[in-house]
Amino acid sequence: MRDVKAGSSEYITLVSNDGFEFKIQRSSACISGMIKRMLDPNGGFSESTTNVCKFSEINGIVLEKVCEYFYYNEKHKDSRDVPDMDFPPELCLELLMAADFLDT
Amino acid sequence: MSNRRAGANRIRGPHSALTDFLAANNISAAQIRDDYERRQREAAQGSNAGEGSARQEQDNSDDSDDEDAALAQAAAEEASKKAKKRKRGEKEAIEKIKKVKAAEKAKGSKKGKKKPKRGDSDEEDDDDYDDALARNMYKKAKPPPGQFEHCEICSKRFTVTPYSKDGPDGGLVCTPCGKELTKEAKAEQRAAIKKPVGRKRRKVESDRLDGLTHLGSKSLQQLCIEKVAQHHHQIDSLGDLPGSVYERLSQIFSKKRVMNPKTLPVFLRPDLDKIAIDDAAYLEVDDYKQIFAVVPHVEHIVLRNACQFKDEVVEYMLEKCDNIKHLQLYAANLVTNPMWQELFRQAGPRLETIQLQWLDAAFDDDTVQEIVEHCPNLKRLKLKLCRRITEETVKLIPGLAKLEHLYLQVSKHQEVGSESLVSLVTTIGPNLRTLSLEHFVDADDSVVDAIHNHCIQLKKLRISENDYITDAGYGALFTEWQNPPLVFVDFNSTRSLEENEPAQAIGLASGAFAALMNHSGSALKHLDIASCRHISKACFMEIFDGATQYPALEYINISFCNSVETTIVAGIFKSCPALKQLVAFGCFDVTHVVVPRGIALIGMPTAQDAIEQYGMGIGVEEAIGRMVAVTG
Repeated sequence: MRDVKAGSSEYITLVSNDGFEFKIQRSSACISGMIKRMLDPNGGFSESTTNVCKFSEINGIVLEKVCEYFYYNEKHKDSRDVPDMDFPPELCLELLMAADFLDT
Repeated sequence: MSNRRAGANRIRGPHSALTDFLAANNISAAQIRDDYERRQREAAQGSNAGEGSARQEQDNSDDSDDEDAALAQAAAEEASKKAKKRKRGEKEAIEKIKKVKAAEKAKGSKKGKKKPKRGDSDEEDDDDYDDALARNMYKKAKPPPGQFEHCEICSKRFTVTPYSKDGPDGGLVCTPCGKELTKEAKAEQRAAIKKPVGRKRRKVESDRLDGLTHLGSKSLQQLCIEKVAQHHHQIDSLGDLPGSVYERLSQIFSKKRVMNPKTLPVFLRPDLDKIAIDDAAYLEVDDYKQIFAVVPHVEHIVLRNACQFKDEVVEYMLEKCDNIKHLQLYAANLVTNPMWQELFRQAGPRLETIQLQWLDAAFDDDTVQEIVEHCPNLKRLKLKLCRRITEETVKLIPGLAKLEHLYLQVSKHQEVGSESLVSLVTTIGPNLRTLSLEHFVDADDSVVDAIHNHCIQLKKLRISENDYITDAGYGALFTEWQNPPLVFVDFNSTRSLEENEPAQAIGLASGAFAALMNHSGSALKHLDIASCRHISKACFMEIFDGATQYPALEYINISFCNSVETTIVAGIFKSCPALKQLVAFGCFDVTHVVVPRGIALIGMPTAQDAIEQYGMGIGVEEAIGRMVAVTG
């Protein structure tokens, strides 16, 4: 599935450290500065050819929320007074660390 | 099904004609009983789990659960799609219907089961209806009013009245228990009511004035940080987060006024080199000591509103921390003069930054003398609202040879002559990057002349609240000045307060403003010319003519510049492609402005509109086109 069309596919895959894979729209994932740099064809990272980003620091639960945020962000791109995305409080520190890592 | 048949070939005890009849029709009395008992059990479990009474009366079939969930989800999705008003209306309607139903149930009247007519949630109602019907079918008949019954909660015997309430398991409850139940229900309702809309709207406006709003959603980090702050009381430690996150969290904690002895330990980690607490008002001596004990290698200390920062804390700090380079203390009024002097004597050689504000009780010229003597490496000095310092301080500061950033504000009734300022600028001017002179009311043209002659590296210049420096003086400053273009300029409130204005314009007026923009326009980011009332309309028109571009300008404050009008605002939009915020309080000739995308215009005097207007996705050209259509 992954190597159908390297470099320019519309969807990319994010892999958590416990093996969960999330297929997500490229444009949404690139909200993260980190992922954007990983996928930049001029960056020379292997991720830019395979379109798979592995995160050894982020577990599946957190990564799922991150993906949810990507789409939430994309959805509210041009609107004002956006309602805050909700997530369980016990997740927020881990998510904060992931957000810091991903530059989101 | 299987257990009905299973019993068919077994030996059975005596049974009635009815059981036979039912068996013949393939109905098992045992199963009906089992089902009933199971429902009772489920209901009991439901109430233990703390669910609402409506949920307990669920239909016995399992798939109705799923159906309910699906329906609830669908309803939620639907609700979120609709406009707010509509949504509110809908919710109210649902609430009302629920109330009506509850009332009907209480009366136990058959009529109450009539289905309320409503457009889009028919299915949901159907479901409720079925539930209620099912419940009624299996329920024990209620005793009529006047009879005795045992309360379902406290098991007391009481007389049933038409007003007796339903218990959680469908039975009746006595009057005291009924009251308790209603109380609980009301409390739940109150909790469910959202905060008033008005407050939320005011919050939005306030955020906008703080420059906090931007297009689209907040960053994930911001969301997380807010969530963390929300649950501040449950956090034991923040773990291995970067320092910048610590700082932002500390800011939010301070803003929410939850930075107190309980939450403080969260922010202390031995490997940190910066402690920044914007509101330390709740912290006491022991907390300050704890800070310095846990984080001994701290280099950068920011403690604002440090009311309980006492002599003994300073002593402890000097004892524990020998690495302090940047010190910012606001309102530390319990530190005495000798202790201030001791502090600068001991920590002086390492100090690069001293920022002190709101000091009334102590900190006088002698202390400044100590700073000058013992802090040779000082690069940044800010003394603001320190009531005891006088002109003497201005005379002392030139002794700090390495100073790059200087912020000074003397208190209201101190007179500081121009000569002291001139000698200050002459001595340390060539090295200065920042010069901020607030409220030096008596300074005159000789000061700006000295700035012109000696400052060659300035990036930020502020001269505010002055009523002697003339337009010609400012004009001369910006004409053929060696200094590269400034980035930050603030000349607010430079004007004469005399009733009869002198012939020569006081403060930054047309000539000087043109010279300023000519000199610094290419790099200028922040421009504050509030209350510079002598800048003429023609001058504004010429500077913001739409063709000349000021590529870096992001913030402009033109409040109380009387000559500003709509055309000038349009010109500003055209000339400043990077503009984010335009503050225009008291510009009464500005009307019917159509604000382009990404720009916030603050201070428009129309009562009905929001105080700030936001560009809603139209470009500069279109906005100006619309403005012309309105005004022309």
